[in-house]
Parts: sequence; structure tokens; C-alpha cells
Amino acid sequence: MSRVENHVESGKDPASKNSSIYAFVFRIAPFVSLFLLVFIWFAAAGDNNRIFPNPLIVLRKMIDMLFNPVAKATLLQHAGMSMLRVICGLGFAILIGIPLGVMIGWNGSVRATIGALFECIRPIPVLAWIPLIIMWFGIGEKAKVIMIFIGALTPIVVNSYTGIKFVPALYLDVGKMFNASTEKQLLMKIVLPAALPSIFAGIRNATSVAWMVVLASEMLAAKSGLGFLVYRGMEVFDISLVMAGMVSIGLAGAFLSFLTSFIERKVCPWNTGIKSE
Amino acid sequence: MENESKIRVDHLTKKFGDLLVLDDISFEVKQGEFVCVVGPTGCGKTTFLNLLTRIYQPSSGELYIDGIPADPKKHNISFAFQEPSAMPWLTVSQNLEFGMKIKKIPPEERAKRIDRLLKLLGMEDVRDAYPRQLSVSAEQRVIIGRAFSTYPDLLLMDEPYGQMDVKMRFYLEDEVLKLWKEFNSTVIFITHNIEEAVYLAERVLVLSNKPAKIKENIKIDLPRPRDISSEQFIALRRHITDSIKWW
Repeated sequence: MSRVENHVESGKDPASKNSSIYAFVFRIAPFVSLFLLVFIWFAAAGDNNRIFPNPLIVLRKMIDMLFNPVAKATLLQHAGMSMLRVICGLGFAILIGIPLGVMIGWNGSVRATIGALFECIRPIPVLAWIPLIIMWFGIGEKAKVIMIFIGALTPIVVNSYTGIKFVPALYLDVGKMFNASTEKQLLMKIVLPAALPSIFAGIRNATSVAWMVVLASEMLAAKSGLGFLVYRGMEVFDISLVMAGMVSIGLAGAFLSFLTSFIERKVCPWNTGIKSE
Repeated sequence: MENESKIRVDHLTKKFGDLLVLDDISFEVKQGEFVCVVGPTGCGKTTFLNLLTRIYQPSSGELYIDGIPADPKKHNISFAFQEPSAMPWLTVSQNLEFGMKIKKIPPEERAKRIDRLLKLLGMEDVRDAYPRQLSVSAEQRVIIGRAFSTYPDLLLMDEPYGQMDVKMRFYLEDEVLKLWKEFNSTVIFITHNIEEAVYLAERVLVLSNKPAKIKENIKIDLPRPRDISSEQFIALRRHITDSIKWW
């Protein structure tokens, strides 16, 4: 809990004469970078557009895919499939991960038992689980959701647990002073709200992991999804399809992280931008 | 009943192992009285407070509120902490409501008290702000307001203005006096700032060096608002300073 911000609240930059120029530069800088990227892309692509399509070709490909289905689905439908898988896997991870992390953080005996087990399994990255999952659950939707679930669970549990553990004792003292004596009261009125920003940081992390895992799972075996599109592009040597898929993945990923930040601002308006573990 | 003491501290002694921290402390506080406790750093002021809030149990002696041994379950004891302790996830008005909610005060009454406190604190315009958006001194005012909100039998304050600059301190001291008069609370205010003690208190208890005893019990009978540069004020301040010196 840093309280430093309050001390500098009235600190105005004395050299404010230059600040409007700086503000302008900072505002246009991102667009300049983006323009440069597109420019360099054009330059690098050159004439050899079968191997290295230029941005215009990729854009045209994306627009084309919006209306003409690839493998029986339009671009938005593929994106929707990927999103749906993420939402399912992430949803289960949130439903199970938050209570689990909270229990590990709050209750000493849960920490000693389930917490210890979790610490043993946690270092195994989700990619290492994939063969086992495929052998047990096949290559269908269930397997994909399980992969995402495993990948998303860890950051959620770890952040919930750390959030609970680092609730300042002072807040609990305030509660006790007002005679909030039951565990439930302390947990619901103080510990959970205090840990919420950290829990949300875990969800934000989990979302990016889930997005990564869904693409991996779709490249392994799938008939839809953005990961599948990229892989299909490789199989048929359509590099514009690969690149269009990649750009779509980037856009959809950005949309997902925008969505989580939006929900986060609604759920904990007092505190945004807590760093996750 | 009226003249009977609200708080009676009776031969309160606290030992941690062999270390005697508080040695046979006895005093009384009347209903609605404002008492300041001053003493050298490390003399056991915090231990003393923790005994009053029942975080610690005394080694011997007892603390009575209205003649009954103090019990946080029966009595309404409130505490203003030294550190900024407003809940960051609650707005100003929700923070004021926090204690009342736990104490299960009905919603209409809560709303009434919140409005009253906000008005007294002059914080109506920031009622929906989060503590993070406020300055440290404004946050401390929320904590003071929260401490008063439950209409406590006994309000303990542990150097709540320890981190404030001089100007803010004067402002907040006047504010706490305003709340105290308005709510007719019984206040025990701990501070190491002698000027603050003389400015606020009706009575000042001077603690000695460890093991802490009550060295002196000084009535401050100056008219309010007090003039810190008046002769009597300075004389009292000097007297307490001399009494507190341990070197």
C-alpha cells in the first residue's frame, strides 16, 4: 500500500511552458509508430507478395474473409469460436480458482494441504499437459476447454492467494475495533474487498494465458477458430491467410484485454493498475 | 448518576514476562470529558491503549465502563488509528458507514449520521470520492468521523495527527473539538505533542518513563477557543514539559 501519491498531489511541473508541446508529441507518437510499422512492412514486402504480402493484401484478405467463409465460417465466426472457448475455460478457472486461492490465503490448514499440492503442480506449464489431455479427453471442445482451464487457473489462484495474504493487518484491526468478530464478517467486509484488485490482476493475467492456450490448442486440432485459420494458411501455403489470421488474433486479443480492464474498472473503481505477480 | 465517572481505570498493571510496562495506573474519566495522555516516547502509551481496547488483557487491575468491566461486545469503544486506515475500496460516505453497518445500526439512522458527519467535516462535496483521491489529512478526517459515527461510550485516539504539518494539525484539532462537543463523547487522546494536549484537553495525564505510572494529573481550565500564545497556556505547557522530562 503505497501512500506516496498523496504527497505529490499538488506538484505542478514548473516548466509548464513546454508541457503543451510535450503533450502534443506524446499524443501523436503512437500514430507515428503505427504509420512507421506499416511503412516498413510495405518496404520489406516489396514485390514478392506471395511470400511476404504487404499490409494492403492482408487487409483485403481480412475483409474478404468477413463475407466469404473459410472452412465454413467467416472471420467473425472463427473469432467468436476462439472467444467462446476462452470464456468457457476462463469461466471455470475463475469459478474454481478464486475460492481456492482465497481459501489457501485465509485458512492455514488449507494452505498446508491443498496449497502445498498446488505449489507442486504449478511449475508444470500448461503446454506440458497437452499430450495427457489429448490422450484422456481427445481433441474435441472438452479437451480445449480443459487446457485453457489449466492455463488460466494458476495465475488466478496465485493472485487471489497473494492478495489475501497481503491485506494490511490495520484493516482487520479496524474491523475488530468495530467488533466484527466472526471470520465471515472479516472475510466478506474486509479481506475480500481489500484483495479484489489483486484477484483482478490474476484474472487479467489468466486472460492472456487463456488466449495463448486457445490458439495453441486450435493449431493442434480444430475445425474452427483463429488458431485454426493460421494453421490452415500454413497447410495450403497461403501466407496472406496466415498473416490475416495473425492480425485478427492481435485485434481479438486486444479486445479481450480491453474487456477485462473495462470490467475491472466497474468492479473495483477505486483501484486500477495493480501489478500482477 | 450524572456525576459518576464514565470510565474507571483501577490499578491497571501490565507485564510482558518480567518487563513491567504499566505500573498500577488508576484514574477516572467523566462522561463527556476530553482527556489527553502525554508521556515520553516508548513509555508504554500504545500498550496502555491496547489494554483499553482489550487487544491485550491486563496483568492485574481492571477497566470499568459505567461500572462494568469493559467488554467490546457490550460497550461501544471506538478507536482512531495513527496510520491512515480508511478502507480504500469504500467511498468517503461508505467509510463513515462502515462501523455503523457492522454494529447493525438501522439504515435510516446511518444515513442521518452520515449526513451530519459530512456536514461537520465539511466533506459533503467529496462524499463519493475514494480515499486515494483525497489528501492524507482529508483521509484522516474521514477516520475521525468514522470513529465518532457509532456514538462510542469511549473514543480512543492514538496520535491521529502525528503525521500532519502544523497548519493542518490546528485545523484538525479544532475539528475534533467540534465533533466532541457535538456528540458529547468521552475521549482519551494520546499524543506526544504537549502543545496539542494543552490545546485540546480538559485534563492532561502525564505518564512517567517506563514502567509507566501516572506522574501528574493536570486540569486545563482555559476558556475555548484557546490562545496558544497566552500566558496561562505557555505556563501550563512549560509545566507539563518539565514534568515529562526524563533526562
